[in-house]
Amino acid sequence: MIDASPFMLAQASFGWDYILTQLFNGLVRGGFYALLALGLSIIFGMLRIVNFAHGTMYMLGAFVAYYGAQLIHLPFFAALIVAPVAVGAFGLLVETTLLRRLYDVDPLYNLLLTFALVLVIEDLMRLLAGPLGSPYETPAVLSGATNLGFTLYPTYQLFVIVVCIAVCAIVYLIIERTALGARIRAATEKPELTRAFGINTRRLISGVFAFGVALAAFAGVLNAPSTNVSPTMGDAIIINTFAIVVIGGMGSILGSIVTGFALGIIATIGAVYYPPISNTLIFIVMVLVILFRPAGLFGTAERTT
Amino acid sequence: MSLSLIQGRRGLLVGGMLFAAGLVLPYVVYPVFAINLVCFALAAVSFDLLLGFTGLLSFGQAMFWGGAGYVATILIKGGTGSFVVAVLGAVAYALVLALAVGFVAVRRSGIYFAMITLAIAEIQYFLAFQLADLTGGENGIQIVSRGTLFGLSLEDDKVYYYLVLVVAVLSVAFAVRVVSSPFGAVLAAMRENEVRARSVGYRTESFRLAAFVMSGALAGLAGSLFAIGNRLAGLDGVDWHTSGAIVMMTILGGIGTIFGPIVGAALFESLDYFVSKTPIGDKTNIVMGTVFAIVILVARRGIVGEILHRFFAPRKRLVEDEDQPDRLIVDPEPSV
Amino acid sequence: MKGSLLRQVAGRRGILEWFDEFEIHFSVTHEGERVKLFRLSTAGAVIVAVLSSLGAPQGGNAQSGPIHIAVITDMSGIYSAIAGRGAVEATKMAVEDFGGSVLGRQIVVDAIDHRNNGPEAATKAREAFDNGAELAMDETNSAVALAVDAVAKEKHKLEIVTGGATSALTGASCSKYTYHYAYDTYALAASTGRNIARQPNGKTWYGIVPNYAFGTQMLADFTAAIKPEGASFIHADMVPVANADFSSYLLAAKNSGAQVLGVLNAGADTVNTMKQAKQFGLDKSMKIAVGLLFLSDVDALPDVFAGSRITTSWYWNEDAAARAWADRFTKRLGGGLRPTSIQAADYSATWQWLQAVKAVGSVDADKVVAYLDGRQFNDFYAHAAEWRARDHRVTHEMYVVDVLPKEQIKEPHAWFKIVQVMPPSRAFRPESQSVCVKTW
Repeated sequence: MIDASPFMLAQASFGWDYILTQLFNGLVRGGFYALLALGLSIIFGMLRIVNFAHGTMYMLGAFVAYYGAQLIHLPFFAALIVAPVAVGAFGLLVETTLLRRLYDVDPLYNLLLTFALVLVIEDLMRLLAGPLGSPYETPAVLSGATNLGFTLYPTYQLFVIVVCIAVCAIVYLIIERTALGARIRAATEKPELTRAFGINTRRLISGVFAFGVALAAFAGVLNAPSTNVSPTMGDAIIINTFAIVVIGGMGSILGSIVTGFALGIIATIGAVYYPPISNTLIFIVMVLVILFRPAGLFGTAERTT
Repeated sequence: MSLSLIQGRRGLLVGGMLFAAGLVLPYVVYPVFAINLVCFALAAVSFDLLLGFTGLLSFGQAMFWGGAGYVATILIKGGTGSFVVAVLGAVAYALVLALAVGFVAVRRSGIYFAMITLAIAEIQYFLAFQLADLTGGENGIQIVSRGTLFGLSLEDDKVYYYLVLVVAVLSVAFAVRVVSSPFGAVLAAMRENEVRARSVGYRTESFRLAAFVMSGALAGLAGSLFAIGNRLAGLDGVDWHTSGAIVMMTILGGIGTIFGPIVGAALFESLDYFVSKTPIGDKTNIVMGTVFAIVILVARRGIVGEILHRFFAPRKRLVEDEDQPDRLIVDPEPSV
Repeated sequence: MKGSLLRQVAGRRGILEWFDEFEIHFSVTHEGERVKLFRLSTAGAVIVAVLSSLGAPQGGNAQSGPIHIAVITDMSGIYSAIAGRGAVEATKMAVEDFGGSVLGRQIVVDAIDHRNNGPEAATKAREAFDNGAELAMDETNSAVALAVDAVAKEKHKLEIVTGGATSALTGASCSKYTYHYAYDTYALAASTGRNIARQPNGKTWYGIVPNYAFGTQMLADFTAAIKPEGASFIHADMVPVANADFSSYLLAAKNSGAQVLGVLNAGADTVNTMKQAKQFGLDKSMKIAVGLLFLSDVDALPDVFAGSRITTSWYWNEDAAARAWADRFTKRLGGGLRPTSIQAADYSATWQWLQAVKAVGSVDADKVVAYLDGRQFNDFYAHAAEWRARDHRVTHEMYVVDVLPKEQIKEPHAWFKIVQVMPPSRAFRPESQSVCVKTW
């Protein structure tokens, strides 16, 4: 064993360009957090369930892209559309055949049901694709690096930042500015009242669930060129996402987006200054938030489940 | 709530049957497997004490189970080699940890509580991974001996098994005692209607914290017995999959029935262990996940709960649920 | 007599198999009692049988029944491609080639799935040893190897680790009953590190190191290996566990001006690092050394690993003997896959152990160890090999290889090009540096 500390301290002085670059890295990480937290939050807002299988849907998205490329040479940009649609359709099936049966009982049962789904789907994918990674290449047009003035930055990572921000903004606008969004918002913020108005149709619920998991699948495709596409790729990120929605306030759309990006940046910068804290930083922030603001940063009031 | 199962003559009967099964177990299955089984049964009971009687679903039970396992093996390796010291130290660790975690977590309930306990458990997981000097990191800690109990060697698997069985029986008796006590009655009242319990003057958070700490300490006890029994502690113990397994055992057996989770743990571990040895061993998770999903969808009372309900329900009657006038259900669903 | 009583009282095949799984042992041979039991109900019979077996020794077939070899491996998880079914089949091949029996006793190979879980592996190993296993093999996963190491020590049975990587097996955790056969972290670092550091453009290194035991050990071993050649790490990033985003480290590596990128992590981390390194174009500006990589990893992700330099204990196309065995293995398993170094090591180790058992006329681990210690041998897998007595490291040649890109391979799976053969004395930790406290 060697003492690793001299290596850590070697980075003690950072130039502003280095920090700025890390900020971009934080945005990449935060973009994925935001996309996943957004989907999880919308689903929670509408269905009052926590989708444990959200990371699994993220994984499935990446695999749809992989199989698309292998079997029918589906290009990356097409996969960005096809995979969310396919996984969304799968989500629709899950909602209508399984989750729907449990709306009348404690929401914890749906959490547990989605946990069972994680076990089954991950293992099925392992049997299908093997436990190791499956290859997925960065699209040629986005490979290489771009000169940002202060640094050379991978073009693909820039693309990820732009797309994540754009998608989050679009989803936010749909929910805040359209009639459909108004219904979803109403159902999210005042579920009982909305139900009383008769708006809360089954179709809206199914649609929202499908849309939420489609967002996760989209994130999966987006990360496929940068990460190991394997059946367990959703395991680590789902627990981080849970913490982020708790910090942001469950069901808060803006909260999920802002917290996602903010925590991505905080975790990345934190790792630069003190690497061992990187994994735990998000959870520590979560503990602090619960202590001082139990409903979350953007949560309005304690909602009993 | 199936207190009828664990109290009075029926409780003695069911408990006696389980105890008898426990007595012959190491002669029926491989003794070390029997040790593992009893440890997991105790962990499931600890979890039921929390879920079944406060409605709090902790997805972080592995932090007590695995954390105590580390403490126990470290104490045996670096200390006196005393079994008692190791177990007491491990339980003390679990207790203090539960107190700290509970202080944060009981501020929320329901789904939040599940997610918060899951996330906090991850902190300990990563600490265990990275503090390799203490925990052995990804290699874990191996000990050569189970230590001694007042001079008695525990290296024989059957001797150790019966020691674990005695500890487990006492712990389960303790759990039964707790849920049938006035304290248990308050927990039950809180679970049924927290606002009402609060309005009659109970500080519900304190009660929840007390239940959480008891549950954590018991899980720690189970985890330390498991680690010493296997002579090792490692990351598997603090991994969230272990928390998930404990949740599954309890629900499989029947929430709030104390004895149900014991049956659930036995079933889960047997299925897991024996399926993993068969040609479909690589599909274990598919089998377990499917069984669990079916239980959640159609048999939420769990195996023991369903049996009780089918054969021992006092008198079936149709209950009109006030909140859902369009649904007539036979007995309210066991609310989590 | 295992299960024979139940065969009479239960009769139904399905139930029988079920009870066989529960490992019931009977010592009931008394004819009168047998008739008596017949009249009882099945459940009653089980209880009586169980009670009558109280005090009967478990697995009382140590001297006469078949000899079991327990291949404790990952049958379905992340290491299943490296070892898994192929490891079991390789062991069976060795047994069959040996004639299927030794000392007049049949040899049975049991596949045991450790599922990458320490306690599970320990329990199953214990059970296997108690039920007639004389040798535990493979153990791909360091935590599992160390867990079984402890059990072997306790039971005085032999363990030959071919899969686990940690050099602790012959260091702090060394034991009379454990040999480390194929490779270890030290050998990987010493071979790859020394090879690259010798070159004029291999003097300055940048390390991407996972911040846990494996990583810090790898970094220490690499640092020691390249120092004599005048090379050093100008910086090493200790990357947190489960980190999936390596861009900040890769960027720093690129800006550092180092000549070599040392990717000293494992598994999915390595894949993530390599994928992102290619996005930054690092593979074009730096030589990439990967600490731990197997043929099956390259099979899964050829483009990701092309161009990196690694070390392997064996390569299926290294010479005619290796190739001949690999052809047999591939034919046996079907599907066209080529054996990994660990699978070849499983065959070789099994064969060597059977030879030893035959030579000493006993499966007793103490006698076998006494025979093996210090013995030198050569086979299709291990060249210039020795069972080192000092710390139970089995030393042999190691091979530094380059991973070829798809376009350059001459036939499927021929990913490696050997660039240097490392003699055992340079590949493995010298005895003089051993930290093994020999207690036997």
